[in-house]
Amino acid sequence: MSLDLNYRDVSKVFGAGGKNPVEALKKVSFTINPGELFCLLGPSGCGKTTLLRSTAGLESITSGHIFYGGRDMTSIPPFRRNIGMVFQSFALYPHMNIFENVAYGLRVRKTPEAEVRRKVTEVMELVGLMEELKRNPSPAGLSGGQQQRVAIARALVYDPDLLLLDEPLANLDAKLRRYMRAEIRRIQKATNITTIFVTHDQEEAMAVGDRLAVMRRGVVEQIGSSDELYNKPNSAFVANFIGKMNFFKAELAAWDGENARARIIGPDFELDVGKGRNHLPTGIAVGSRILVGARPEQLSVGLRGVEGAMAGKVNIIQHLGQFVRYEVSVDTAISAQPFEVDMPGLVAGIAEGDNVYVSIKKGLASFYLPEEGQSE
Amino acid sequence: MKERNLDSSISSGEHGGFKKFLQKDLTPYLVFLIPLAFLCLFLFWPLATTLLRAFMKSGNKFDLGALGVSGFEKFFTSALYQRSLRNSFIVGISVTSCSLLIGVPMGYFVARVKIPGKSLLLSLGILPVIMPSFIGAFSWIILLGRQGVLRYFINIVLTPLGLELPPIYGMFGMIFCMSLTYYPFVFLLSHGAFSSANALLEDAGMLMGASRWRVLRTITFPLVIPSIGAAALLVFIRSIGNFGIPAIIGGDQYVLPTLIYFRVNGFWDLNGASSIAVVNVLITGAVLWFQKYVVSRREYETISASHVEIQQHKHPVLRVIAFLYCLVVLLVSLAPQIVIIVMAFFEKWQGLLPEGFTLANFNKIPKNSPKELLNSLYLSTLATLLTAILGSIIAYITERRKPKGAGILDMAVMAPFILPGTVVSVALLSAFSGRSAIPLGGTYTIIIIAYMVRRTPYVYRSVAASLTQLNPSLEEASTIAGAHWIYTFRRVSVPLILPGIISGSILTFSTLLQELSTTILLYGARTRTVPIQIYGAVADGKMGEASALSVILLIVVFAIVYTTNKSKGRDLSAGLKM
Repeated sequence: MSLDLNYRDVSKVFGAGGKNPVEALKKVSFTINPGELFCLLGPSGCGKTTLLRSTAGLESITSGHIFYGGRDMTSIPPFRRNIGMVFQSFALYPHMNIFENVAYGLRVRKTPEAEVRRKVTEVMELVGLMEELKRNPSPAGLSGGQQQRVAIARALVYDPDLLLLDEPLANLDAKLRRYMRAEIRRIQKATNITTIFVTHDQEEAMAVGDRLAVMRRGVVEQIGSSDELYNKPNSAFVANFIGKMNFFKAELAAWDGENARARIIGPDFELDVGKGRNHLPTGIAVGSRILVGARPEQLSVGLRGVEGAMAGKVNIIQHLGQFVRYEVSVDTAISAQPFEVDMPGLVAGIAEGDNVYVSIKKGLASFYLPEEGQSE
Repeated sequence: MKERNLDSSISSGEHGGFKKFLQKDLTPYLVFLIPLAFLCLFLFWPLATTLLRAFMKSGNKFDLGALGVSGFEKFFTSALYQRSLRNSFIVGISVTSCSLLIGVPMGYFVARVKIPGKSLLLSLGILPVIMPSFIGAFSWIILLGRQGVLRYFINIVLTPLGLELPPIYGMFGMIFCMSLTYYPFVFLLSHGAFSSANALLEDAGMLMGASRWRVLRTITFPLVIPSIGAAALLVFIRSIGNFGIPAIIGGDQYVLPTLIYFRVNGFWDLNGASSIAVVNVLITGAVLWFQKYVVSRREYETISASHVEIQQHKHPVLRVIAFLYCLVVLLVSLAPQIVIIVMAFFEKWQGLLPEGFTLANFNKIPKNSPKELLNSLYLSTLATLLTAILGSIIAYITERRKPKGAGILDMAVMAPFILPGTVVSVALLSAFSGRSAIPLGGTYTIIIIAYMVRRTPYVYRSVAASLTQLNPSLEEASTIAGAHWIYTFRRVSVPLILPGIISGSILTFSTLLQELSTTILLYGARTRTVPIQIYGAVADGKMGEASALSVILLIVVFAIVYTTNKSKGRDLSAGLKM
């Protein structure tokens, strides 16, 4: 029976009452479903690790509540919460062999010896370490991927109510990382334990998680499946954090609460966006500064200017396998940063240094509110 | 269910602080209180009493009614006080400079020049610090004293030239002996810095066209300056606090620690001794401040991920010079130990060779000093055990639990590290002797407490060093797995910091066996120790007996240190750092 996990107004202030209190979590509220593999994603310092450590009880929260399956765990010490956790450094005990490492939580629970053997064998089979268990070396004698498996086995062996993974793949090399994230998903689905997976790598989060929460500055910006976050990001930050988004400066030309029209400042042309693609607050005034966003594959480059195209200059052409990426500088009045445009193949006649035109594919742009700290 | 939620949401609001506090596990706080109580009773209280006594009229009466500065006036009126103060400064500065001159090249040679026997040089290098320094001093008397063997021969050479080497007693002797005792601090710390510096930085300098010498001057040295500064500080503090060497070889030249002894032992003038102790501590404090705010400002962050093996010099001439240099320094600094061993087996040694082989020196020990041997063993063992427990707990608390005031606790524990032994004794005497609330004068207890106060930093630093290398997530993993913190401490923390605890304890035990500067003011007829007996024998001119006792000390200490160094992963020097 898997549990759901519920955060209600969880806040954490480091150094409260001191000179520089840091608000690591600001009234975070959301629910993780039973048996779900849930990713916490965000740049460093966004509060994702603090939220995970608070869930474990390793960090006490300043206010709010955390419920496991409806039970308030806020003031329960971590050693009475029955959770499993995998640390970024794996935290395997160098003074114990791998059997004793995995058996640790069972020994704490004073499990009978026969039961310990049975459970350790079972979990080692699940993580695919039966061969290593026969040799039973100390953790230092294992490869990074194997150490990771031992760490997962150790966290699972006593049937925890909740599995917490703190950047579990950060210490592995790139190839192993891709393999292990599939393994983690397989093991999680096999055990069906409600799991939180913390990472700063959006590709990893999208590949592993059933659902994702993108965090920034102690606030959950958006929760959804990979697909929802990529295709319907509801803020400029999420849009640019989950994949790449190009932004143009624009002005709100018309607005009826659902449909909007923007005037792009440089080339001075107007663009309509309907419901679902416009993430502007209802109260916004016509004439306000907004941002028009388009993903690299939602733009195209060409030698001739069509209507609404912006003039620019190709800086770099990168061949990236399935597509070719053009980096194009445009008038700084439109965007201070060069655009990234992905084309399915090389466009004949365009070389680095050439003058080109960039246009938005019909109906694919989104509107966002500019925000402080947003790089232009 | 709903009610419960409501209730707890109220209690964990701003007004629920007390309830929250009660729900927490309180055992850490109880454990925290024990070391705190110990420090308050046996460190803060005695130091406060000392400070008060420093402003009282000379004598041992604790009279809060008549505070004044008469104790300090002596530093302006008495020639003896002035000379002692001046001597302390001269000794401190000269010993520090000499140690730097000896130790820095040696550290560089062992770290950067390809020479044989490096690990042996390093393990023998620490010996002069660990071996009893006053034994070194009286050994140099055998060699260079009035009837010194070596002096006799040097004078045979010098006399035709109309020169004469004076006996070693006095300032020269003190500086000479202390430099040879304390240079290993500089040697070991600078070796560590030279060998751990990032070779890429030097390679980069070289690739940008700098000559070897320029790289050494503009890159290597600036990067090791903080380590060398710390070593210099350590030497200075140790040398102005040393009692044994000036007491034995100082002749009629007093320094502050011997002056303190003189006030207490000669006049039972605790208040006067307190004034001197305060001046002694002020000097140490000033130097510490200087180091902290001037030298350590130059500390640099290492900004590199990968380390590269350091290139070693392979020039044959340099290799020979480096090897000979290290060998000579080591031989000279270990000569006293060798001389003592020889001396112990002979009646006298005044010519070329010692005369009259005998075992009488050793045979006298069971008759003359059985009590002293037992006392030394008993006091050192008990104090080491208690120190190990106290030091480990404090290290665990300050390093892991990080309570508010951890910084103060850290400073308090480390304070005795810089306090001269005689000052600690004076402090304990002023608080617990005579008719105080807790009279401890002349007991075993006061000596054990003094030992604990002085040696806790060794265990503390050593354990703290292993704790910092221990990823906190190892302990968190245990908590998450369901273990109470006591279970975690027992099954995870202690096994992993055991090397730190053991090396700290070994350092404590081996230095306590030879403790003189604290014991000399605290011992009574019942509580005499081996070093006290040796000191007395030297004073009486019984060199043979003193040597035999010293040999026993040397053997025990060497055996302990040797076995420790044999077992892998033990680093004794961690406990010696600040």
